[in-house]
Amino acid sequence: MLIALRKEFLLQWRSRAQLVAVLVFGAAALLLFSFAIGPNAAALRQFSAGFLWLGLLLSSTLTLAESFHAEMENRALEGLLLLPTSPRVIYYGKAIANWIQLAIIGLSLVPVMVVLYDAGTTRILSLVFIILLGSAGLSAPGTLYAAMTAQIRSKQTLLPLLLFPLIVPALLASVKATSLVILGDPMSEGRSWIILLVAFDAIYWSLCGLLFGRVVDE
Amino acid sequence: MNKRLFSAGVALLALAVYFAVLVTIADEYWNLNISLGLPVVARTLIAVFGGLIALVLFLAADDYSDYRQPNVLIAAGIMLFLIGSYFGLFVAPPEQFMGETQRIMYVHVPTAWFALVAMTLAAISAIVFLLGGNYKWDARLEASIEVGVVLAFLLCCQGSIWAKPTWGVWWDWDPRLTTTAVLLFAFIGVLALRRFVEDPLKRAIWSSVATIIAYVDVPIVYFSVKWWNSLHQQQSSPSTVSKPFWIPLRANAFGILLLMTGFIMLRSRIAALRLKNERPPLPVVEVTT
Amino acid sequence: MTQGVVTGGWNFVIAAYAITAAILTIYGVTLITRLREERLRASKDPNAE
Repeated sequence: MLIALRKEFLLQWRSRAQLVAVLVFGAAALLLFSFAIGPNAAALRQFSAGFLWLGLLLSSTLTLAESFHAEMENRALEGLLLLPTSPRVIYYGKAIANWIQLAIIGLSLVPVMVVLYDAGTTRILSLVFIILLGSAGLSAPGTLYAAMTAQIRSKQTLLPLLLFPLIVPALLASVKATSLVILGDPMSEGRSWIILLVAFDAIYWSLCGLLFGRVVDE
Repeated sequence: MNKRLFSAGVALLALAVYFAVLVTIADEYWNLNISLGLPVVARTLIAVFGGLIALVLFLAADDYSDYRQPNVLIAAGIMLFLIGSYFGLFVAPPEQFMGETQRIMYVHVPTAWFALVAMTLAAISAIVFLLGGNYKWDARLEASIEVGVVLAFLLCCQGSIWAKPTWGVWWDWDPRLTTTAVLLFAFIGVLALRRFVEDPLKRAIWSSVATIIAYVDVPIVYFSVKWWNSLHQQQSSPSTVSKPFWIPLRANAFGILLLMTGFIMLRSRIAALRLKNERPPLPVVEVTT
Repeated sequence: MTQGVVTGGWNFVIAAYAITAAILTIYGVTLITRLREERLRASKDPNAE
């Protein structure tokens, strides 16, 4: 398992230019959202959480699709499967790597959000926690579907088509929780959204791990 | 076609329709009690479970070899739907607050039930296929997903049409309606996945996996939208059928049950024939033409 | 909406029933058409058993 992780990190470190490109894409998306709303400071601040997570979601399609790119070139996937590790290990290795990548993107977009939408907050730890949970929710089913769509032709369209309806609860919960952190949470509603996120993550990290073996079977 | 299973299904269905529809009609219009001494609870259970088990029996008996059975089911379904619509449109009285729009519920509620039943059948087919590898279940999977998508789309249309006179907007973020919309997109995605994968084995396995994942998501989506909406809604969501008039509801329910079953059976045959026509042909599906 | 009566809903009722009937009928017809196509293709097929 650690070996799988180490391989993933090595791969990602080698392609860190890709990560920077996705970051720029995410920041550009946030900028575009503000143009869509217009110079209405109050509205921008109110919806800043939504923009942040939409930006992260759009960026995730690029990141996730990329995560199996190395395996598809040179047909390395078959080589991986011949190793005596179970596919489950491969899955969790990839999913964790994607999770970390998405979390990095999410955290990097926070200062962009603060600047563009005047959406600062002092509760940094809560924000970090929510971004970690939310990106985990994106990563689990995202990695599974990335593995699937990497093996077929129209991969670009299919991955978001499959993923987006699925992660609606994670998106809802993340946006609500982030919004409460930024705008204030007088009635401590944030906790129930975090619980929903944790439940979503628990269910999908286990379910997708279980099913991954069938997806990459040759 | 397994004749015994199918006949058992027909018998059970007849019993269910009898208790659900005929007993009520006899009671309301002819002041006759033909309930055979059974209390209301027992009758309701027979109606509900009888209908669902009949559905399972019809599908299990189906080996794609005959066209009479699905056609019979569809014909019976159309008849029951016409009866239910007649009662719903012309006989049932307008409701106190909802006025005439109450009548929409007599089609909306059954469509909702069976959209969910179709998706459940899809999930079950997916699991059975993953466990056994019999392509008949892949055909059923494709069929129930497509029929479920049609019903879900219909549900969104009906919900929208209901929302406009009631709330003044075409969409009111009601948790049930919103969940249906998400469900619709999720399962359209699975159908798109099937279209883009050429290898039949991969297609079957992947769409089964995707179906299971999407189906598990449905309750999660429902609860999250419910919480999300409850923080905003000023009005309380109305009950779907506040003072129900049972006859149109039940007649339509069985009508749509039979239509759905017949459609799934026909669509399964299409899927099975396509599998048979694949290059190279899969030797696992026997379909007489 | 606990007060107030919804008036004049007949158009919407007709629309709902009409859409339901239309979509179900159209879908049924497409099923029959596609089924005929597939049977035709299967019977013309030299590989068919």
